[in-house]
Amino acid sequence: MSVTLRIVLIVMSILTSIYVLVQIRKSQLKIEEASFWFFFSAILILMGLFPQIVNFGAKIFGVQAPVNFVFLGIIFILIIRLFHLNVKLSQLENKVENLTQRYSIDENNRRKESKKVQ
Amino acid sequence: MKTLIVIPAYNEAQNIERVVNNLIDNYNQFDYIIVNDGSKDNTAEICERNNYNYLDLPINLGLAGAFQAGVRYAYENGYDAVIQYDGDGQHEASYIQPMIESMIETNSDIVIGSRFATKKKPFSLRMLGSRMITMAIKMTTGKKIKDPTSGMRLFNRKMIEKIAQNINYGPEPDTISYLVSCGAKVSEVQVEMHERVAGESYLNLTRSARYMTNMFVSIFLVQFFRSKE
Repeated sequence: MSVTLRIVLIVMSILTSIYVLVQIRKSQLKIEEASFWFFFSAILILMGLFPQIVNFGAKIFGVQAPVNFVFLGIIFILIIRLFHLNVKLSQLENKVENLTQRYSIDENNRRKESKKVQ
Repeated sequence: MKTLIVIPAYNEAQNIERVVNNLIDNYNQFDYIIVNDGSKDNTAEICERNNYNYLDLPINLGLAGAFQAGVRYAYENGYDAVIQYDGDGQHEASYIQPMIESMIETNSDIVIGSRFATKKKPFSLRMLGSRMITMAIKMTTGKKIKDPTSGMRLFNRKMIEKIAQNINYGPEPDTISYLVSCGAKVSEVQVEMHERVAGESYLNLTRSARYMTNMFVSIFLVQFFRSKE
């Protein structure tokens, strides 16, 4: 791994952490959601500081250039994250559907009640 | 059997009065509920003006969510059966009674208002999709459903309970297939359907392709991993 790439990894991870903290300060992000990004930054920093980890991983998985192992790892983590978000989205959609249906049925009942009174 | 006609309606201002007035004037032995699925036109206004029984969804949920709203209403108000009925006048109300009778006679959980129960399915491009779904359901469940894409379906109380309370029970062929594999009994009654009189059809080529893909993935793959009760 080149020194430039190591510096890029470290700088990017610091910037990511700062950005996440700013978003929390602005109340744009829940703290429990932020932990993933801190974990993600920590991995980038570790890879930047200790390239031996990357070299070792590349050797085990038979990846020729260690830098490709960095990409592989990042892609892997992001795909898992993406799937998690997809699950969350489904749950969220389900909640919105539930809420919408509940609201409309209650409104229907209220409408009938008020017509009865008149 | 206390039966509720559920009429999902998205932008059906041109059709809804004709469809619902027909039900009120000629079939008042059945209750009905319109589910206005966040229409952009004045469907809700028409319902209010005519004093119809309707649910007004403040946002658009799509057919599955809208139908489920109607089924939840049926569930909470103690209906024995629910019939899925189009808001655009494609379905003929005179077939509701025969479908209910068939449900009682054959002790079915689901009765499909089928265009091809006794009549032959034409060889058109549109029917190719229908044939493929029939084949997929036959292969996975062993049950031949001649008109799986018919939008006119009668569900009994047992099915109402499932549809009202769970996700992934949209009113589509894959749900029928899944319910068959759970042991639900399905029968078909021959009906006639009309071409839609006004408004736009939902299906185009891209949507049809996506629909078929979803149905195949659901019937051939997902169905086997869903819990069977």
